[in-house]
Amino acid sequence: MLQASSFWNAPTNPASDFDERVDATGKVRAHWAMMSSELESLGTPLLHTRSRAVNQFIRDNGVTFQPAEPGHQSSQGQMNRPWRLSVIPFLFEQNEWQVLREGLIERTRLLETVLNDLLGPQRLIRERIIPGQLLWSDPTYHRAYHELDPGAQKLHVSATDLARDIDGQWKVIGDRTRAPSGLGYLLENRVVTSRVMPTLIRRTNTHRLASFFETLNDHLRLQAKSKRENPRIALLTPPSGSYREFEDTYLARYLGLLLAQGSDLAVRGGELHMKTLGGLKPIQVLWRHISDRHCDPLELNPQSVEGVTGLLRCVRRQSVAVVNTVGSVLAQAPALMAYLGKASEFFFGKSLSLPSAETYWCGDANDLSFVLQRLDEFVFRDAYMVTNNRPIVTDELDAASRDAFLAKLKSTPELYVAQRRLQFSRTPLWSGESIESRKVALRCFQLTTPSGINILPGALARAGKDELDLSRSLVSGGMTLDCWITSNRPVDQHKTLLKDSKATISIRRGGADLPSRVAEHLFWLGRYAERAESAARLLRTTLLRISGEDNWETLSDVRRLVYALASGGQIEPSYAVDSFSVNLPTVEQILPASVLDRAQARGLCRTMDSILHNAASVRDRLSIDAYRIIQRAARDLNRPVILEATGQPGQVTINEAIDRTGRLIVDLLALAGLTSESVVRTHVWQFIELGRRIERAENICDLTTTMLCPATDSGKSICEAALEVSDCLMTYRSRYINLVQLAPVIDLLITDETNPRSLQFQIDRIASLMDKLPTTEGPTGSDAILRLVSSLQFRVTTADPTKLATIAKDGRLEHLQHLLEEVADDLPKLFNQINARYLIHTESTQQLTGTER
Amino acid sequence: MNSSSRSNRQSQIAPSPTEMPAAAPLPNPAAPNNTLPPAQGAGQPAIQNQTQSSVTGGPPNSGTAVPPNAPPAKPPSHVTYQISHQTEYNYSEPVAVCQNQLRMQPVTGGNLECQDTKVTIDPDPNSWDEHRDYFGNLVTTFSIESIHTALRVVVKSRVTVAAPSISESDASTQWEEALDHGQGPLCPTVAEHRYHSPRILPSETFAAYARPSFTPGRRILEGALDLTRRIHQDFAYDVTATTVDTTTEEAFQLKAGVCQDFAHVEIACLRSIGLAARYVSGYLRTTPPPGKERLIGADESHAWVELYAGEKLGWLGLDPTNACMVSTDHIPICIGRDYGDVSPMRGVVLGGGTNTLKVSVDVEPQPIR
Repeated sequence: MLQASSFWNAPTNPASDFDERVDATGKVRAHWAMMSSELESLGTPLLHTRSRAVNQFIRDNGVTFQPAEPGHQSSQGQMNRPWRLSVIPFLFEQNEWQVLREGLIERTRLLETVLNDLLGPQRLIRERIIPGQLLWSDPTYHRAYHELDPGAQKLHVSATDLARDIDGQWKVIGDRTRAPSGLGYLLENRVVTSRVMPTLIRRTNTHRLASFFETLNDHLRLQAKSKRENPRIALLTPPSGSYREFEDTYLARYLGLLLAQGSDLAVRGGELHMKTLGGLKPIQVLWRHISDRHCDPLELNPQSVEGVTGLLRCVRRQSVAVVNTVGSVLAQAPALMAYLGKASEFFFGKSLSLPSAETYWCGDANDLSFVLQRLDEFVFRDAYMVTNNRPIVTDELDAASRDAFLAKLKSTPELYVAQRRLQFSRTPLWSGESIESRKVALRCFQLTTPSGINILPGALARAGKDELDLSRSLVSGGMTLDCWITSNRPVDQHKTLLKDSKATISIRRGGADLPSRVAEHLFWLGRYAERAESAARLLRTTLLRISGEDNWETLSDVRRLVYALASGGQIEPSYAVDSFSVNLPTVEQILPASVLDRAQARGLCRTMDSILHNAASVRDRLSIDAYRIIQRAARDLNRPVILEATGQPGQVTINEAIDRTGRLIVDLLALAGLTSESVVRTHVWQFIELGRRIERAENICDLTTTMLCPATDSGKSICEAALEVSDCLMTYRSRYINLVQLAPVIDLLITDETNPRSLQFQIDRIASLMDKLPTTEGPTGSDAILRLVSSLQFRVTTADPTKLATIAKDGRLEHLQHLLEEVADDLPKLFNQINARYLIHTESTQQLTGTER
Repeated sequence: MNSSSRSNRQSQIAPSPTEMPAAAPLPNPAAPNNTLPPAQGAGQPAIQNQTQSSVTGGPPNSGTAVPPNAPPAKPPSHVTYQISHQTEYNYSEPVAVCQNQLRMQPVTGGNLECQDTKVTIDPDPNSWDEHRDYFGNLVTTFSIESIHTALRVVVKSRVTVAAPSISESDASTQWEEALDHGQGPLCPTVAEHRYHSPRILPSETFAAYARPSFTPGRRILEGALDLTRRIHQDFAYDVTATTVDTTTEEAFQLKAGVCQDFAHVEIACLRSIGLAARYVSGYLRTTPPPGKERLIGADESHAWVELYAGEKLGWLGLDPTNACMVSTDHIPICIGRDYGDVSPMRGVVLGGGTNTLKVSVDVEPQPIR
């Protein structure tokens, strides 16, 4: 037993702490018995292994969060941090859960009733149950919330934050009625823990989550007021880079919803639409995850960029159903918690069985003076906003800050609530090294449907050092736990989280529903992936030549390769000028380091950042495997260099650089292969492919010009280098053995329409892709694009490789250079036209006020 | 066209939602029930003509002496007006889409009856909706979804404004009676106007300014009129002093501004001592009655104040720009907490470059038929 207690490493003081695992006498609680012995039999080393598996799953699935705290805005790609999940779940016993469940149902019904009243007859205010000033002082309250959808259900998906008091009673520390976050993370937590602990989760008879999500899906569908058999449902997420990005992408994909940002949507003819490549497509249901007051710049906050102009009008016309109703934020005001008990008495004639933590709204003069006499028993929070700030605890403040706070409290008391400090219970947590006992809080989720209130049988559990730590936002980086509702009876084993729909759906192909913004990200994803591959090839070829030869300084092929690297922006452009010989001694040093050089905008690292950024923005359109490859490639490339001898960080050696570029090429080829083999030929594929082909065509022009022009005596090694960089060397040798001449090289690189690495092949591909793009009206006519593509195609097709290889007396390849210059001029024009026609979708808006002042 | 808009504003506000006629616009969900003091319409019982003639002066800033010498000719019991409000935007670049909301149409209620109101929009809107907002104002929402370089909105209305009267016994109400004493049922549509709103933040500064007018036990009519007159005296009417975004505090510091600022300051003063006060936008008659000066604010939208003066008196109209009670020269259009709730037009346009705006308002009294 000594071993076990040191294993649990949990110094719990029963007088001041409620321990979830053991009771006050130190005896393991019944529902914890199986888990306790299981964990003990695993022991520290195996728990370590399991915990590593958890982290691995989270990394592979790309489960990240953007820290919600301000001051974390660094460059893109570095803000995401991996989600943190303890390998040990939080356990909830079935009977106790049943009591909590009833309390949650009752509370959700009350909040719906209160919200309907505040946005309707306001009996609570008339009868002075709630001070009217509480509502009228709420900065999130807009009068426009009132006349929107009278009689309609207001709350659909809501959440409740809970913590256990010292007496073992669960208390509500916060309501979330706007657009609660955490549902996606909760789902992912369950997916991961059930893979790491598959047997245990079955043996503990843990309740399944799948049917909650199925009901949610059905419920959203049923909100549609037209097209009810197959409505378009969009999940409105804040602009890229928000703390909701991962979760909304995850939920949209899991539930099969369209993921939309405000700029993807438009109101036309009094109806909400998605802007797609195929034109405007009506949306019947909008699950909004943005602030109420940002929903419509016309009627609410005019500065908002998250919402859609005219959305409220659509709601009033009932052309779209918005979930939760615009205005639902009012029900989550912490100030309201002080009056929910009285509201329950008023409406239902009984008190709340699941009470709030004791809360006082300081806008009430009597309550304020009560609180002022007992400052240290309370924490102070914003009365209206749910913020990420740590609550104010007066005895933590120094004298000056305390005085400043009290002055603010007295001058604007209506902006604060005082909440009695709860103890919070403790639960075992795997810290990474050992089991520790941490304070815990739960977020439970509710779905209200016409047939009743569904409580998700689980929760997102969060652990922290103290209760103040836990009153911060979900995405502040703390450890989370999956919450298992265990039972001593078997639960329904048939429902799994894997999707399975009973409904028969009609067969569909294509998918013109691609939002223009998404097309833009896909296009750039293709472009950057190609750019990275081409840069990695060029670097590897150069590095191989430097490492293989002692006298590489004298080789003209290396000179040309370095020139190409400088011209392509991989290294300082000064390496492309004629002071080359001066710089030569340093090439050997700078080249390996350039692999990790973030200073070059077109360098490998920055290009990989761009791939990640674009991939993250369209995650719901990429397969999990594709996303994994991209993540792994970026991680591998950026791995810190550790010297084997010393174990200390060091510089990249030539061999290390060859190794890293080689692995990157393989990863990028895997991505290209996956794109080619697993992506349906919809607009998604077309835009990735278009980006890739335009980029490759530009790279061929650039490489051929810098490597081959002008011709030199040592043509053979240069030609071979060019072929190697273009991945054509093997093809060339199989055709011509060891004879290297300019004309066949140029044929293979430029005019051979059967070579996927030739210019001709790229142009042909672009032409056939353009044929398949939608032909709805746009600012640039499709005719102009097609003309440009035909003229490109004509020029390359009619070029004669022998003529292109003609060398003038001064060594110039006039015909080749002329052709490449023309093509290199036209490709950006083509890009601009595609951009204008399909990709640019944000135009500036301005406000009218109708007055001259 | 707007037959639905002609229903009585008071009847829109007073009945409980279930009593609403089916064809009427969305009921005001915050409507007080019938047991509560009637939230009367924007046009309000004004005091007898003697009071008015004694305070109606000439343009406050005309510099030269403008004696308040108008003979107390008995004003007509009611006046019918033809109103035309034209708003025209011209854009330097084409506009692809515009979405707009108008709050420019009168609704029947209080002492105003709307005979007809019609909106004409050029180019033709693609879609068009009407609804009543929280305060009972008639709101028109429209969108134009084809390329255009100019937008013209003309609102023509015909209304009759009745001169309200106040009985001597009602007028004896003391101002303290209009405060919230914390007992009995509370009427949200009155009480909400006691507190701050986005543009009006009550404070001790405003309360200190208001107190000399509201001495203990003073009749609310006297106090209100005194405050109205003092603001008129202490503040300069100056269109260059403020902009549409000037805060009430700034205008109070400057002691200058236009009708919007005057109204905001008076509301701030009234709310700061616990009274309920709201903002009214509307028009003034363009041509003065014979023998009277033209009032400031004619030819454009005007704004004034309504003070809740207790159950018997209801809402009193006060015009601090012209130092008078509101009567048949004032035509109320919209009510709200402050300017932000009643701005006549708001819109979001896509494209458009820079724009130029022309607004003209014409308010003509009609011969009595």
